[in-house]
Amino acid sequence: MAVITTVQALNDALGLMMAEDQRVYCLGEDIGKMGGDFGVTRGLYDEFGGERVRDTPLSEAAIIGAAVGSAMVGMRPVAEIMFADFIGTCYDQVVNNAAKVHYMFDGQFRAPIVIRTACGGGFGGGPHHSQQIEGWFMNVPGLVIVAPSNPHDAKGLLIASIEDDNPILFLEHKALYRQKGEVPEGKYTVPLRKAKVVRPGKDITVVTSMKTLYDAMAAANELEAEGVSVEVIDLRTLRPWDHQTVLESVARTGRAIVVNEAPKIGGLAADVSAVISEEAFSYLKAPVMRVCGLDTPIPFSLPLEKLILPDKDRVKQGILKVCGK
Amino acid sequence: MPEVSPDQYLALFRDMWRVRKFEQALEREFKRGKVPGMLHVGLGQEATLAAIAHSLRKEDGIFPDHRCHGLLFLKGTPGKKIMAELFGRATGICSGKGGSLHSADASVNNFGDNGVQGSYMVTALGVALGWKMQGKNNVSAVVVGDGTSGRGEWHESMNLASVWKAPVFFICVNNGYAISTPVGFSHATEDLVDFAKSYKIPAVQVDGNDVLASFQATQEAVAHIRAGKGPYFVEYKTWRWQGMFSGEFRPAEEVKYYKEDHEPIALAKADLLKKGIASPEQLDAIEKEAEAEIEEWVSYAQNSPLPDPAKATANVYIGWEVESWQS
Repeated sequence: MAVITTVQALNDALGLMMAEDQRVYCLGEDIGKMGGDFGVTRGLYDEFGGERVRDTPLSEAAIIGAAVGSAMVGMRPVAEIMFADFIGTCYDQVVNNAAKVHYMFDGQFRAPIVIRTACGGGFGGGPHHSQQIEGWFMNVPGLVIVAPSNPHDAKGLLIASIEDDNPILFLEHKALYRQKGEVPEGKYTVPLRKAKVVRPGKDITVVTSMKTLYDAMAAANELEAEGVSVEVIDLRTLRPWDHQTVLESVARTGRAIVVNEAPKIGGLAADVSAVISEEAFSYLKAPVMRVCGLDTPIPFSLPLEKLILPDKDRVKQGILKVCGK
Repeated sequence: MPEVSPDQYLALFRDMWRVRKFEQALEREFKRGKVPGMLHVGLGQEATLAAIAHSLRKEDGIFPDHRCHGLLFLKGTPGKKIMAELFGRATGICSGKGGSLHSADASVNNFGDNGVQGSYMVTALGVALGWKMQGKNNVSAVVVGDGTSGRGEWHESMNLASVWKAPVFFICVNNGYAISTPVGFSHATEDLVDFAKSYKIPAVQVDGNDVLASFQATQEAVAHIRAGKGPYFVEYKTWRWQGMFSGEFRPAEEVKYYKEDHEPIALAKADLLKKGIASPEQLDAIEKEAEAEIEEWVSYAQNSPLPDPAKATANVYIGWEVESWQS
């Protein structure tokens, strides 16, 4: 099996799907000859041409609108929004059109689009190039949010997302783009709306995704030596997320923390925490805890940014507290 | 200028009356509390709507605006299904889930209005792009008001339609006011063709209350787009009878001009009589037939059942069910 980066895995998925299905095309800023800011579409312009790897101006509303409209007449667009922070400029298109087209016309139209976007902090990107944005979209019925944590899942989830008939916001964490992992050649899918237990444990469940998964894994490995057995779940689909896998895990461990890079108030972690409390209260030996970003914008200077975002040590502290240690 | 046959002229006249009667009946029922939500009617804009409908094919796309109920049925959807939708009934074209601002009909490529004015201009661009990539010859027509020209989607869609030579027909129904704000007060120009021209899109202005002039301008626009020459913009200068909300805020002489001196149906009627195309009795009969037809639709809507409660949670996701209170 080839060992490749997340960027290469995503590129592989796009190339495979474009070769297989004439309806699939890409659009976004600088995705053509340049291959995208992070190189995810590199080489696709040469292989498929400018009609199907379509450079746009800085018109995010038109990028999403063109994707939705063409999807309504049978295309399978993959739109790139260069940085997730920019999605505010096309929020209406995502929330009021992509997510509602199927419902408000009672099933007459579909919007099978994928919106790929680079998210996440930890690299000094500052207030407008660092945010984790799933919380902005948690309250949007009809929308699906997918977030891979490794190259294998990135390829399989992107292929599954392109094949799915729902509008999908596909989050790519910038800190994971250059991470390498084993990725099968050829086409395969990783199922949507299905979380994965990536580390079995007995004492506590950590529910997380994307970059903070690695903080959780590092904390779990250190705590193993201290006699705490930590189960780690990668949600993979953030909305609607996989209640069953999480609740079954909590039923076994009796404790849970939810780790999320975004600000704590009103985010994904709040929803996961609430569902565990509603559905698995009788199994809980301690209150569910959230370990999240602070309620601040992301500052530019690295030592300041480090104070804002959750890391291994904060996850570790959270686990110990919930475990009463 | 393309020729307009007497039959074509009479058909336009007939559809102007159908739009008028539809909107008047709807407004009456709204005031009686039978039509839920909000209502915007296209009274005064009948010539523009008829001209558009008579220039598009069934397979062409439309994105109607808030005052386009008439266009919905002129495009080919059974009028009773439109009326039922506006009444929120199960027999409505969107099963009562869309209402006035979200009535789509996939079978005639009506992609629906949008509650957020102008938001769908980029969707129309996308439909045009999709069809162009598929080698289809359809026109994607989007109806917008003058107020929409302030929105980003207006400019983003025009720029890209021009760059991509996408088959978008930009239909600007300039009725002079965005709710209460006159066009010239809040925009750099009162002539919205100026914006289109700056994106190098062929753009013309026409008297939107003159049905023949509107029809001919529309025919030329559609022919240009269908020939693969890219987008086209027509600004129909017209006027709406109703204020957005109750109360008249416009100058009395302006109201008189548009409702009496330059009223679209009266203009067409005088011209048809002058040209000897029809007798006064024939034209009166057309009005009465339109009224009877619309009243049938109203009674169909009123007698239709309310939606099945299961519809509330249907078609949110494809392949996944939403948790329901009933489960």
